[in-house]
Amino acid sequence: MNVQLSRGDMIVIAGALLLLPMLYLHYWGNASHGEQIVIRAAHQDAQYYSLYDDQQIHIAGPLGDSIIEIKDAQVRFIHSPCEGKQCIHTGWLNQDGQIAACLPNGVTVQVIGRDARFDAVNF
Amino acid sequence: MKLTLQTTRQDHLIAWLTALAIAIHIAESALPSPIPGVKPGLANVITIICLIQFGWRTAAWVAILRVLVGSLLIGTFLSPAFALSLAGACASIAILYVAKRISDAQPVWALGPIGLSIVAAMAHMFAQFWLAYTLFIPHAGLFQLLPVLMTMAVVFGLVSGIIAQHVLNRIPEKLNP
Repeated sequence: MNVQLSRGDMIVIAGALLLLPMLYLHYWGNASHGEQIVIRAAHQDAQYYSLYDDQQIHIAGPLGDSIIEIKDAQVRFIHSPCEGKQCIHTGWLNQDGQIAACLPNGVTVQVIGRDARFDAVNF
Repeated sequence: MKLTLQTTRQDHLIAWLTALAIAIHIAESALPSPIPGVKPGLANVITIICLIQFGWRTAAWVAILRVLVGSLLIGTFLSPAFALSLAGACASIAILYVAKRISDAQPVWALGPIGLSIVAAMAHMFAQFWLAYTLFIPHAGLFQLLPVLMTMAVVFGLVSGIIAQHVLNRIPEKLNP
């Protein structure tokens, strides 16, 4: 196979090979860390909290109180009156778009970025 | 009434090359793709060959016409897929213009088919990604896909470039009109 590479080609290939790891580092590193969280509960307005204020939030649902903890720019369920405890097992969330839900108690918590207007446009 | 259009040799050249590019474009659209938006883009081989053999104007005509006619035939005309495709083609043609000007002005740094193909593929992907992000999916999560998409762009750009180089090697010198 005879493939001739000019000096320009070499530069392009080197640039591309340099760019790719940078992209991986930047976007698969910690870049898309969330900014705030939104808690949605049945029959209540959505509530927004900063991901940087450590606190515990009590949310009243049909089964009782769900407790959500914000700590070190992460968020998780720490208590829930439901049976399966799926929400608690979801664990810590910190990336934009991650979500934990307790369906029996009708409570969800989602990490959101700065600019969440809508999820997607579909056709 | 009979309507006659004066066509030039250049028109015929563009039409033939576009037909070739469309054939590749449509054959490729039948291939299944693992990730949405990732396809080899082998029709760009034609664009690169046009650019080197016949100059930027011919390459631009072929690229834009290919997107237009290809979308009419596949049935994606004016759909988001068409918008993305057009944005990609415009961006790659634009970067190829710059690359060609630099290559003509500074032959030491001239890009061969492989370099041209890689910059075109990357510009294509960046434009598509930017359009998809601003118009269709303005979600920060989309950026998680960018590294993978760019890797694919570089790989397919390289492959297309190598194919273009092989084709060019087989074209006799004296073919230029």
